[in-house]
Amino acid sequence: MSVQDTLLRAAAITKRYPGTTALDAVDFTLRRGSVHVLIGENGAGKSTLVRILAGVELPTSGHLEMDGHELRLASTRDADSHGIGIIYQELSLFPNLTVVENIFLGRELTRGRLLVDRSAQERLARELLQRLEQDIDIHAAVGTLPLGRQQIVEICRALARDVRVLLMDEPTSALSPGEIHVLFRVIRELKAAGVGIVYISHKLEELMEIGDEVTVLRDGRRVAAAELAAVDVNWIIENMTGRRWEPPPQQEVSGGAPALLRVAGLSVPGRVHDASFHVAAGEVVGIYGLMGAGRTELLEALAGVRPASAGEIRLDGQRLDRQPVWERIARGVALSPEDRQSAGLVPTFSLGENMTLASLARHSRRGCLSAAAERGSTLDLISKLHIKSTGPRQPITALSGGNQQKAVIAKCLLTSPRVLLMDEPSRGVDVGARSEIFEIARRLAAGGMAILFSSSDLHEVLTLADRVLVMAGGRITASFARRQFTEQALVAAASAKPGGLHDRT
Amino acid sequence: MTERDHALNAAPAARRIPVAELFFRLRALLALLVLVAVFSALSPAFLSSGNLVILIKHVAINAILAVGMTFVILTGGIDLSVGSVAGLAGIVAGGLISVGLPLPVFGVAVYFQVWLVVLIAVLAGTAVGALNGVLITRFSVAPFIATLGTMYVARGAALLISNGATFPNLFGRPDLGNTGFPWLGAGRILMVPVPIWLMVILGAAGAFVAARTPFGRRIYAIGGNERAAQLSGVRVNRVKLAAYMISGCCASVVGLVLASQLVAAHPATGETFELNAIAAVVLGGTSLMGGRGSVGGSIAGAFVIGVLADGLVLLGVSQFWQIVIKGVVIVVAVLLDQMQKRFSWRETSA
Amino acid sequence: MARNFCLTLFACVLFTTACQQGSGGKKSIAVITPSHDNPFFKSEADAASARAAALGYSVTVNTHDDDAHKQDQLFDVAIAEGASAIILDNAGADASVAAVAKARAAGIPAFLIDREINANGVAAAQIVSNNYQGAVLGAQEFARLMGEKGAYAELLGRESDTNAQVRTRGYHEVLDKYPSLKLAAQQSANWSQTEAFQKMETMLQANPALKGVIAGNDTMALGAAAALKAAGRRDVIVVGFDGSPDVLAAIRAGDIRATVLQPAARIAVLAVDQAHRYLTTGSSGAPEKQSIDCELVTPQNVDQFGVFARK
Repeated sequence: MSVQDTLLRAAAITKRYPGTTALDAVDFTLRRGSVHVLIGENGAGKSTLVRILAGVELPTSGHLEMDGHELRLASTRDADSHGIGIIYQELSLFPNLTVVENIFLGRELTRGRLLVDRSAQERLARELLQRLEQDIDIHAAVGTLPLGRQQIVEICRALARDVRVLLMDEPTSALSPGEIHVLFRVIRELKAAGVGIVYISHKLEELMEIGDEVTVLRDGRRVAAAELAAVDVNWIIENMTGRRWEPPPQQEVSGGAPALLRVAGLSVPGRVHDASFHVAAGEVVGIYGLMGAGRTELLEALAGVRPASAGEIRLDGQRLDRQPVWERIARGVALSPEDRQSAGLVPTFSLGENMTLASLARHSRRGCLSAAAERGSTLDLISKLHIKSTGPRQPITALSGGNQQKAVIAKCLLTSPRVLLMDEPSRGVDVGARSEIFEIARRLAAGGMAILFSSSDLHEVLTLADRVLVMAGGRITASFARRQFTEQALVAAASAKPGGLHDRT
Repeated sequence: MTERDHALNAAPAARRIPVAELFFRLRALLALLVLVAVFSALSPAFLSSGNLVILIKHVAINAILAVGMTFVILTGGIDLSVGSVAGLAGIVAGGLISVGLPLPVFGVAVYFQVWLVVLIAVLAGTAVGALNGVLITRFSVAPFIATLGTMYVARGAALLISNGATFPNLFGRPDLGNTGFPWLGAGRILMVPVPIWLMVILGAAGAFVAARTPFGRRIYAIGGNERAAQLSGVRVNRVKLAAYMISGCCASVVGLVLASQLVAAHPATGETFELNAIAAVVLGGTSLMGGRGSVGGSIAGAFVIGVLADGLVLLGVSQFWQIVIKGVVIVVAVLLDQMQKRFSWRETSA
Repeated sequence: MARNFCLTLFACVLFTTACQQGSGGKKSIAVITPSHDNPFFKSEADAASARAAALGYSVTVNTHDDDAHKQDQLFDVAIAEGASAIILDNAGADASVAAVAKARAAGIPAFLIDREINANGVAAAQIVSNNYQGAVLGAQEFARLMGEKGAYAELLGRESDTNAQVRTRGYHEVLDKYPSLKLAAQQSANWSQTEAFQKMETMLQANPALKGVIAGNDTMALGAAAALKAAGRRDVIVVGFDGSPDVLAAIRAGDIRATVLQPAARIAVLAVDQAHRYLTTGSSGAPEKQSIDCELVTPQNVDQFGVFARK
């Protein structure tokens, strides 16, 4: 690799957040006219690196170079002025504005400084959409377009600026195969024009097709880098997980206990397709999958928060799929949701009030809340779950993430659930609390509770689960019993295209 | 002012409440004390027992509305229809007493005893509250819009029933057995006027329900985080429906008291009452975002507004200044609310 | 939701069209007044429409609710529907000039009743009751009832309304001449009965020696009378203004001692008659500004009066 070829270089980039190191002395080099694939598990540091390259965040130490000159990106505007464009994984469009307005937002083409040159904008927007072979009405409000089309607009927006570096964070997550095909064609055109592209995706086949080079990140470190032509999928998975690849086991061993929760053909429109599985009493089942695989939607459908379009849910043989949330809680199904802040906690409540919210009837005597009953059960669980607090009266917002998560779990436990659903129980939780939560789950299972949890963290699934269901594209693509699953097998199943080869259910 | 806080800890408060926070929490009471001190210094008539009774009677009107409004605002909603509901309830009662319920088929009108008249009027007001609740929960209409609509509908209904006129002389007729309606506004129990008893009873019941029952806790939960409440098995739609029905019920009690005091029912009664009630609730420390506040605070807020209004009349201050002063008080109250939020945020994030 | 709204809109359009067809051929008169929740405006609208119907016109009756903008829209509708004349109790002395001028430009004469506008030569006629004369009349009776001495209170209407100002001026023109009559309290009750009730109770606390109350309109007089009755102070003299049926009843019952009757119904009929003459002969046969005197109603003559008119 010659020096002239180097477009953008990141040298020994370190990024520390309070408590964690997101990036640890990472080197990264992007060549002119090439696609550099960035890969790693969730939380490996890919997005942090991209955010630093895009000027969203400053590194704690290390520096950036462009064309051999040191580069300081204090804002996205800086990045923009150096020709660095970004396509975000989460759409950053304004749904109420039109396609044209979104494409040129913040850098409108002007005539005489003040007036927006509408006709020039419209002409350029049409050209861009033509290049992407998309027939989109440029005057439609973006919010009215399907998600895939919105993604196209997002891509147009990056292309409308004369970029030299394009950062793409899972650009294909919402695209159809046809649209992906076109996008890849455009990427090749950009490559030919000398643009350097940083590409993040979980879809391994896709990476192999479009990438030139690959850098693998794990726990904030660069663990490997290579020309993609020289490596294969196994090499990537081994480096991602840090373990040797072994062929996946072919058979599921059925557990001895009878199924407590039985799900058949459950579908949530556009999110979950035909999910069938069971969980036995005393069993801990993990659902592994990448972002957008449908894990959250599946759990929400089980809890009754999200309407299912088809399928059966049975608890101990009794139908549950038509029951509202409160009825399911009464029957013994409780959900600890993925997003604590927006769905798990009432921020205006104290710790104790949050804990008893789902079991108020049990804490009442003759229609009135019993302070003694509330105090008894909250103090009991605070000590059992080791919730660090000054007592049930402490405002919930004053607790750390891990203790808040325990409070949500405590709320579920106070409903005496038979099936406990936990969506990403370790999200935003520090390492110590994480292992405590695992221990709690194990203990509960040992006491006869059925536990179904979801995670996008391989390690977590491997540590906690008796059995793993793997989801990809809204389907359950594989199911492994304990000691039959390996990280490699899980990753391969999770990266499978819907209806792909790894379907083992 | 949050009785809620006492619910959980039977043991002595482990948390020391800083003076400044106490000041914010009790701002309505403090404002009230200041006002009482100022007015009694300026007017010798102010602290006379006769004036205090009349003052509290005036406050009762707004306080009863504020009790119902507190439940609605705690869920994060708003009820603009209360003034119209008061007018409608008064007209329903007035019509039933003075012309009865006409049955055109039989060519006669049926007259009810007063307790039944009161019950029917309260049910009518509660029904408008239920309509609000259904529009907001089942049809997802924004509370502001839904209650703005029913505000007009209820007012229009009152005008239709009375044909725009007043039902005067609601004494009832002994031969029809429907006398006694004026007692509600002018009667006394143990020397205390009935409207004050109504305020005390409804206020105490409201404060108890909000602080000590599962229903009250659910109201706060919905206002704090509706999604979390729903996921915790709270039947959000039902609880909200009940909150609007409580508000409608309180509003109709107010309408009855007003009609009874005047011994006449006027269809325009209660115009702009909703704004006074909302002001009382906000002054009392309830957040318009929902989830925070208390019934007791709202009653204190109603007292601030009422003492201010009556005191200024007592001093003979011009109407225009009265309006300006009331506005300033409300703005200051909301500013204090914002300061309190910033304050408590600092405390929790520290 | 949107579809329902469209359906409703469609139904409304159908309904309006049907109404227009129903009135086919006949000349029409539009009657526009403030909200009918005040019986005063209701009776003037009723009187005008009854008279117009008797003269063979089709009539549309609408209320502007004291909203000049809404009044303007109602004028647009009247012009579009080709009304022959408009009978108007307007929504503001200055704010209404433009609307009346617009109708005039469209060839539609407007006959104003009850309230004047601040312009001459725009309306075909402005027939109002003489508020000042009426106030003087009421104040003279009030002074007589008070025995020309003692403390009294005054309840003002909405202080921004012309009529509230004219009436209080008329009251004080008379009352201020008696040195022994003391104005002990003066408060606005915004024309409202409930507000008058509460203000009266409070004023009574500050001034227990009150001998009389003079109110800017009848609704407030009724509120004050109810408060006095509740306080057991039936000795306090109450005088109102308007001559509403409720106050006539209160005068019979002895709760209120006198009021001044505005001949609203008579003025409305007069306006329709003049409109009719204007439409048939091209002239109303009367000057633009006409002032109709008010009449004093006392227990002695109360039986001679009906709904805003002498029987």
